[in-house]
Formats: sequence, structure tokens, C-alpha cells
Amino acid sequence: MQVLPATAHGRRPYHGGTRPTPYLFLLPYLVVFVLFRFGPVVGGFLTSFTSWSIVGAPRFVGLANYAALARDPLFYTSVRNTFYFLVLTAPALIGLGFVLALVLNRPLAGRGAARVLIFAPYAMMSAVVGILWTWILDSNFGLLNYYLAKVHLGPIPWLSSDAAAMPAIALTTVWWTVGYNMVIFLAGLQDIPPQLEESARVDGAGPWQILWFVTIPVLRPTTFVVVMLTIINTFQVFDQVYVMTGGGPGTATLTLVQYLFFQAFQTFKLGYGSAIAYITFALLLAMAWLQQRLLPSEASL
Amino acid sequence: MTHRWCLGLCVLLAAFVAVPMVPPAGAAAPLDLVFWGGWTGPDGDVMHQMVDQFNKEHPDIRVTLTTLQWTPLFDKLLTSVRAGQPPDLMAMHSQDIAQFSSLGILEPMGETVAAAGFKASDFMDVAWRGTFSGGTQYAIPLDMHMHAVYVNLDLWKAAGLDPNKLPVTGTDFVAAAKRLTVDGAGRHPDDPGFDARAIRQYGLGMMNNHHGFYMFYALLAQQGDPFLAPDFSRTAFSDAKANAAWQWLQDLVFKDHVVPVGETNPYQDFVTKHVALLIDGPWEIPGLQKVGGLNWTTTTFPRVFAAPAAWGSGHLLTIPKQANKAREQAAMTLAAWIVHHDQEWGLSGNLPALLSARTSAAFRALPGRRGFLESQAFEIMLPDVRPSAQLYSSAAPSPIVVAAQAALVRDQPVAQVTQQLRNQINAILSAP
Repeated sequence: MQVLPATAHGRRPYHGGTRPTPYLFLLPYLVVFVLFRFGPVVGGFLTSFTSWSIVGAPRFVGLANYAALARDPLFYTSVRNTFYFLVLTAPALIGLGFVLALVLNRPLAGRGAARVLIFAPYAMMSAVVGILWTWILDSNFGLLNYYLAKVHLGPIPWLSSDAAAMPAIALTTVWWTVGYNMVIFLAGLQDIPPQLEESARVDGAGPWQILWFVTIPVLRPTTFVVVMLTIINTFQVFDQVYVMTGGGPGTATLTLVQYLFFQAFQTFKLGYGSAIAYITFALLLAMAWLQQRLLPSEASL
Repeated sequence: MTHRWCLGLCVLLAAFVAVPMVPPAGAAAPLDLVFWGGWTGPDGDVMHQMVDQFNKEHPDIRVTLTTLQWTPLFDKLLTSVRAGQPPDLMAMHSQDIAQFSSLGILEPMGETVAAAGFKASDFMDVAWRGTFSGGTQYAIPLDMHMHAVYVNLDLWKAAGLDPNKLPVTGTDFVAAAKRLTVDGAGRHPDDPGFDARAIRQYGLGMMNNHHGFYMFYALLAQQGDPFLAPDFSRTAFSDAKANAAWQWLQDLVFKDHVVPVGETNPYQDFVTKHVALLIDGPWEIPGLQKVGGLNWTTTTFPRVFAAPAAWGSGHLLTIPKQANKAREQAAMTLAAWIVHHDQEWGLSGNLPALLSARTSAAFRALPGRRGFLESQAFEIMLPDVRPSAQLYSSAAPSPIVVAAQAALVRDQPVAQVTQQLRNQINAILSAP
């Protein structure tokens, strides 16, 4: 093994693979990760094969929880509602986030203030957002129906009808989180070398052609990340549903995580709730695989 | 130098944090007791004041009260029991006793309650019976609470109604609610041209969640039908009477137009005078007393069918099992003190379960309790079943919330609501 000469400070440079220092720096995070992330993931998987009400010892029941899920109509309702929420929210979050980034990447007056205003809701706590929009969307005395009435529209039973409740939660979610996607897209746009667009312009490409053939392909890695994060986050929706509708009216907005929470923490069936969690995980893995096949992250020109 | 300066700052900070933790020389540390309750409304403020008073009178005990919504509070209870650190005193409802006692986490309290000088005849009978499960006493009663009707007297008088003739029967109640419901042109629901899409004031505010089910439960009892079989193995109500109960409630919203569709916050609507009547519990009283310009009173839950009945429950104080018997004894001291001061707890709006407090002149002089005191005579409590969390959870998709919202928000046919409720409850009761 070659020993590199010492530097002026008397220390030898990092050799790669022989110094424990980097691992010591990583150790605190790794300990926390194993204790609070990896450990519970494994523990939850094992719990899904048990019947357990927190108190007392878990009782092994094999695949009984998964078999019961297969026969549980409320589980299918929650899967359907979750996918419905995903379809309502994800395209809006991705598309609108991209459009806002495109617009606010241009040298417009007030774009700094606009960026702040659009991102600001993301800094709010989910419970605050839920309570605020519950007031805004109140069917009888809410702000939105008040202004709709001024233009002879509505009233719309936003949170009290099957048809409108999930779109209402989707609307709230888009308002709350589109700023985050906008910021990620903005960072991606600002990373595009200006020479690419300039050479396309020199070659006679118009703005739409530049967008379609230069900007979007080069932005593909960023788009991949945004799509992946959006799908994961919308699939795990809980906070705004819990605060605004509690899963109602009836079960119209009952989502997977809402149902998991109900079974695990409101009826004290941790094993059953864990099984729901792992089915959710399997569905997310499947969608991530599908996304990788349909939308590879590598850019192509 | 920079490193030494940082080190010195860290030492100073550590000392600043650590020094207050060192008790003064010669002082005996008080016994720290942990007390949990789900009073997140204005009634919680009253319990905090009582705990402060207890701490002043008992320098050897220091009680810390934590209030949290009931559902997450029960999660916290179970996880803390699992961790071997349960609270020393835990409040809950009468319908929760069977579930938590069956999990083996509650200390039987029959002997300690007797040793503290309490007996059955000291309390309201239904409150005392609510502390038992399977013949064993697991709690000491604190209060009773039930549904009654709050009346905005200014809106009542403005509608031309006599404040000395508050409604008793369902017919009078609906008639008054219609009189109190006004659209933008000043019309009432039975007037020609009434616009149900432009109502500026509703007659009644009522919850469409688990409290919607509680009203159904009361209306079922008014018809003489039991909700469950005596052994709690299945439902026992008839379709006809269940449908009639749901129909009366549903008509208030969708036929009579006296209740806002999909109402999310009836209490707030009452305070802001968007509704003139409110069906709710006595826990709102402390908050209403602080609202300026609101002239209100209470009357009984309406007698819609043959016999009067109103849903009710009661708060109880339990002692979770733990190894430290000294703490259990101190917790009983706290519980006994709170119950002896039940009259002060009456300021929370809840009605004292202790008879001497309930009949005291001071309590009877408290304003706004009349409707609740009168409803108490025909209060009915939910059956104390073992899977109470599954049946009575206040969150969707518990069967009672699904049923209430199906009837009162989604306007589903009541026969369908009844059938679904029966199926879901029987599935839970028959599960192993």
C-alpha cells in the first residue's frame, strides 16, 4: 500500500477506504436512521403477521391480516379513493408547478415576490391549512360559496357531498404544495446551460420548439424527481383529510393512510394496520417501477 | 482560542440548564403525579384550575394535567402502559370501561373508593352503575353530560316566539325551527317562494358525526327499542323504528330545511348567530358564557316519539395499574379531592355526579343548566361493550359515523342506512 507524503500540517490526505473518519461523521445519522426508520420498517413488517392491541404480547396469526384485507370492502374503498386523489392532484401539482416555474424563470417584474407568495403556503402546517380551508369551503357560510353567490353560482357542497369532497381536498392540497414543485423545477431550469437554448434559437427554433425539444428533455431528471415525490406524497395523504373531512362524508374521502390510522390507532388493531401499511408500500413500489419504465430519468436530446 | 471559547460557552449553557434541576438543600421533593383527560374544550380550563388548587393545598404532591382529544389520548394511554409508565389518574367515559378493563390495564377501585368514604347512594344511580364492568368497579364517577337544546333568546323573540314556551315535543320543535329559519327575502320554509339555496339564518345547528348517531340512539329509545341485545351479541332494534328515527333527523336537513346541509361547526354557527338553536352538550357552557352579546338559555332534547329520552354519558376517573402502590394511593387522594369538589367541576358545564354537589344551592344558581338538568332525568347511555373503540369511534369509518353521515349529509334512503348500520355493528360484535 502506497503511503502518501504528509501535508504541511503533518496530516496525511484521505486515502479512500482506510480512514474511519467519514464513517464516524455518518454514525450519528446512521444510528438515528436504524432506530427510528429501518428498525420500525422491519418491526412493522413483522407486526403485520400478528394480532396485537399494543398492550400484551403480539399473537402470531400468519397471513390472516392480509386475507382479511382481501375481503374488506373498506380497504378497497380506501384504495379507490387514494388513486382518485392521486389522479386529481398529481397532474395539477406537476403541470402547474412546471408552468409556474417557466413563467417565474423569466425576467419579469415582481417575480421574486410572486415566488415567495406561491411558496409561502408550503411553510404552513398541514393542520392550519386544513382548518383554514374548512372555513373557506364551508357549504353554508364559507368564503368561496359567498363569492360564488356574488356571480350567481353555487352554493357548492364542497365538503359535504361525495362528488365535491375529494376535489375540495385536492384543491386545498394543490394550493398548499404546488410551490414546492415550482421551486424544484425552477432549480432545474436554472441549471440548463443557456447555450443549448441559444443554439436552438440560432438554428431557427421558435419558443414552443425550444420548450419541447430542449427544455423538457434536459429537465427530465428533475421531472423524474418531482413526479416520484409527488406520487409518493399524494399517495400517503392523511393530514388534510383528517382535519377537513375525517374520511367523510361517509367514506367518500377515506384514504389508505386514513384507514390504516383508524385500524391501528383508533381500534387498536396494530397488526391489521401494519398489513395495510405494507400493501400501501407494495403499491408505491409498483408505481415507482412503472414510472421508471415509462419516464426514465436520463435526459435525451 | 475559538475552540476554548466554544467549550466555555457549552459549559456555561450546561450549567444554566442543570442548576435549576438541583433541588434546594433540605427540601423534600413533592410526589409528581400525572393526570390525563380529554377535555379540550372550555371545560378543560376548569379542570386545570382545579388541579392548580389541589397543588396549592397539597405541597407534598405535584399534579400535571395533560388534556388531549380522547382518541389520541387513548392511544397515548395504551403506549404508555406498554412502556411501563402509565398516567397515575386517567379520565374516560362510562362506555370505555369495558374495553380498557378487558385489556387488563385498569386497577379495580371498589375497595379504594369505599375507603375514601364514597358509596353508591352518594351519586346519581346511572353514573355509579357506569363505573362497573363485569361486576367489578373500575372508576369513580365525576359527572354526567347529555344532549339538550341551546336557544338564542334574541333570535327566538325576534321570530315572534314566546320565551316562556320553549319546545318540548318534536312537533313544537320543528315548528319553532321553521319559524327561526329565514331566507334572504324573509320567508320561512313553509312560505310560498321560500328559497332553500338562499337561507341567511337556520333554525337549528346539529352535528352530523358521532353525535348524529347519538341523537338517533335517543330517538330509538323514545320508541322503546333497545339498540343491542342484552348480551351485546347483536343489534336488537327494529327496521321500522330505526328508519323512523333516521327519517325524522334527515327531514330536518333535507325536507324542512332548518339545518344547514353538511354543517361543519354547529357551535360556531350558534355563536355567530347563523343558527338559532343548537343541539349539543353542556361542555359548551363555559365558552358561551364568555361570548359577548349572546343571550341564550337551554331546554330539553325534544320528545319526538312516545317517551322522552336523550343521549348521555359520564366522565369517570380511573387508576391505571402500576407497580408503585404509593403513587396509586396518591392518585386516589387526587381523585377523591376532585370528586369532593364536584360542585366546582360543575362550572365546566358538566353536571356533577355527586348528589350533594348537584343539589347544592350554588350549583343550582348556575345559569343555563335547566335544559340539561331536565334532560338528565331521561338520560340513556351507550351500551358498555368490549369493542367500544370500533363501534363508537368518532372517526370515519366507524359504523356510527358512517351511518350518521349517510343519513344527515349524503341523504341516503334511511332503509339503506339502517341496514348498513346493522350489518357493520353485527360484524364487529360477532368477530372473535
